[in-house]
Amino acid sequence: MQLTENFKEIFRTPNGCVYQCEKNRCFEVDFGGYLTEFKLPCFFALKRMVDRIDLDAMILNPEKASDIEIISPCGSERCYVLTLPELLEFKELLSGTRVMLQLNSILHERLYRIPA
Amino acid sequence: MRDLVRQKTALSEEIEKILNDQIRQEAKASATYLAMASWCDQHGFAHSTDFFYKQSGEERGHMLKIFKYVNDVGGKAISPEVTDITNNFNSLRAIFEQALEQEITNTQSINRIVDQCYKSKDYTTVNFLQWFLQEQIEEEFIARRALELFDVIGEEGVGIYMIDKKIPEIQYKAE
Repeated sequence: MQLTENFKEIFRTPNGCVYQCEKNRCFEVDFGGYLTEFKLPCFFALKRMVDRIDLDAMILNPEKASDIEIISPCGSERCYVLTLPELLEFKELLSGTRVMLQLNSILHERLYRIPA
Repeated sequence: MRDLVRQKTALSEEIEKILNDQIRQEAKASATYLAMASWCDQHGFAHSTDFFYKQSGEERGHMLKIFKYVNDVGGKAISPEVTDITNNFNSLRAIFEQALEQEITNTQSINRIVDQCYKSKDYTTVNFLQWFLQEQIEEEFIARRALELFDVIGEEGVGIYMIDKKIPEIQYKAE
């Protein structure tokens, strides 16, 4: 999938970026070298899924398998297999996106929806 | 950049979460009342059994009301997982004490949601929750009045039989 002028960058981390596709009314998550499309409900379901992961428990668990987390988001064939550092960045990417979306909503309200 | 999020949902992530928490709480209350109905039936308290079946249905109704609201305003209502339901009780009095405690917990929970909605300037949800605040006055009144019967009538002799018989007669009149 190619990035076009319909894609607006929402938030970026060193290895990831989330775009909003104005044409298809969805989000594109660029992470780990793959671009994945999510409808809005599925994007927020993915964020909830990632938020629920207990990072402290992963860090404290000495077993090798605990360093990996497999995430299968709804509405997508993508399956994320993330190491702990990747997971930390992914979490930051999704949270940052959420904050920027909230900021966008606030700006829309203040700039466009309040009558002059 | 388009405001896709607001176009999709009127709920903030935070309010959606606390409403989903309340859905779970109402579902748990419904299941707890069902367990109480079962205990009452087992012990021959026919009127209390019917009372708790009715209460269980009402709590489920409350849950569905919030569930539908969350979806109506574009959020995602989560079908709750209900676990850790107490099925054994010491006495009829203990059941009504727990019922009152459950209603107080529910009232306080809704108050906290309303408080959070005011802080988030979500007046639509505040308006939606007004019905629940009113409903909780009745729910608490009924549970409190039921518990008072134990002191007024006394449990000795036919007292417990009379208490059970009086339970369906408890009515809340706002005016």
